[in-house]
Amino acid sequence: MTNSMTNVEFVQNLVKSNVNVLQEHITDQYQVHFVVEQDQVHYILNILKNAGWIQMSYLSAIDWPEENKFELVYIVFNWEKPVYVQIRTKIDRENPVMNSILPIYPGSKYYERECHEFFGVKFPGNPDYEKQLILENWDDIPPMRKDFDPEAYSKRKFPQREYSETYIVQSEGKSKLAKMEARKQRAESLRGGKK
Amino acid sequence: MREMKLFLGPQHPGMHGNASVHMYVDGDIIKRSFLLPGMLHRGFEKGMERHSWMNNISLIPRVCVVEPDINELAFAMGAEKLLGLEVPERAHWIRMIIMELARLSIHLMAYGGIGGPTGNYTLMYHAHADRNEILDIFEQITGMRVYHQYIVIGGVRKDLPKGIEKDIHKFLDSLEARYDEYRDLGIDNPSIIKRIKDTIMLPKEVVWELGVTGIGMRSAVNKPYDIRKVMPYCRYDQVEFEVPYSDYSDARSRIDCKLKEILQSISIIRQCLIKIPEGPVRVPISRGQSMRWVVPKGYVYSAVESSRGEFGYFMVSDGGTNPYRVGVRGASYPQGLLGVEKYMPGTRIDDAPMWIDTMGVCSPEIDR
Repeated sequence: MTNSMTNVEFVQNLVKSNVNVLQEHITDQYQVHFVVEQDQVHYILNILKNAGWIQMSYLSAIDWPEENKFELVYIVFNWEKPVYVQIRTKIDRENPVMNSILPIYPGSKYYERECHEFFGVKFPGNPDYEKQLILENWDDIPPMRKDFDPEAYSKRKFPQREYSETYIVQSEGKSKLAKMEARKQRAESLRGGKK
Repeated sequence: MREMKLFLGPQHPGMHGNASVHMYVDGDIIKRSFLLPGMLHRGFEKGMERHSWMNNISLIPRVCVVEPDINELAFAMGAEKLLGLEVPERAHWIRMIIMELARLSIHLMAYGGIGGPTGNYTLMYHAHADRNEILDIFEQITGMRVYHQYIVIGGVRKDLPKGIEKDIHKFLDSLEARYDEYRDLGIDNPSIIKRIKDTIMLPKEVVWELGVTGIGMRSAVNKPYDIRKVMPYCRYDQVEFEVPYSDYSDARSRIDCKLKEILQSISIIRQCLIKIPEGPVRVPISRGQSMRWVVPKGYVYSAVESSRGEFGYFMVSDGGTNPYRVGVRGASYPQGLLGVEKYMPGTRIDDAPMWIDTMGVCSPEIDR
């Protein structure tokens, strides 16, 4: 590698020479995106990790209901050549399954677990991706999907209370005003007694 | 001895925020442990999809309760990248002042936090009193003490008030004068050294395995890996500062790095106050209506260096007035979840709060 090559160009060469890139985009000198096929994600992440992109920064999904797809995002970072590499891939929405990247990036364990909880993507290879993490006893579709309606959920889960329009005083005699009056009278009688 | 289940948190002097650690202990050694988040889940990522870009400014500071400004900056920087917006020069410098004041405040709070598990509450009170002065400065600048909503897309909300430099300098001088006192109270105090030296180790291999960033990483790998240095945002490339690091990461060296960062932040703010230029602080956004402007299609990840490490926002826009998807990468995600599960076992019960504090676990950003 020559020294004149920028870090982004280095990544571009590395990725393009190894996998078939469907789409790419350079945000700035510190960030580059690649869209690849689903079965090439593990391969390219492995290559990137060996080339120094050892830090797994983020893993999540995006829901595209019109296309009937989920888009998975993997963001990795290299501290020596500071470039964020975004690897994205689209997977089927009806039966979303993606093999775990746990052997490559052990730190991805909880990201995958969270992704399963919020999107319903299955990660075979991750031993406890199905365990609940943040949502306790969730009984609806995964909440970050676009067809999940939070308002309908809260209306179903927490039915509206009915309030009567008239304010009912429960005990007439012991209202605040009556108590104050009684206190005043008592004070006056005491004062009168002293004289 | 029989294995017993113990809960650390959610209400505990050493447990920050609202999460709890389930510990299975044998005697006073932790055998298994895991973090139970979810008590503070407020559905921010879903909520952000339902609000406009501008409205989200009031939502995002709540993601991390004690350090709200990193959220604002990461969000604003990401949206500016999508919009292709150039922020005015003065706004960059104001943002740096705010970020470093916020770093001072959270470092003081975290350093005072070791007073809880060690029983040295004097340290905690002193640190909180000094943090309170930072909050006073924030109140003068932004009008709010904790959640500022000051850094917005396109700059900052308004200019610095007149004469604030004097207050900031006064505070920095007093903090610098008290720095040795802080060291004596905490990290150089023999009773505390016994608790923090050579315990709660974080070896280099573990750092790379978990993906720990920030002080945890720098104190272990002996390299100045700080996002402010390796990929400078704002104008961090125009100020001089050093990033403290070490090659031996026990609790003491992590706290030591934290204290050294306090001195560096003081120096950065002083340089900012000298170098800050005059000029406008905010540019208007010309796409769409005045408040419900649109952001062009795209994907972006923007990260800033928080007190606990890399804090990032992943954002997707479909060209509408609301973000299509916002994902938050909490800085304490790796050590808070996987770290507690894999590397907390083996420590003693009374070291568990210290583990949480020195590793820098902030549960609100895990829950979101």
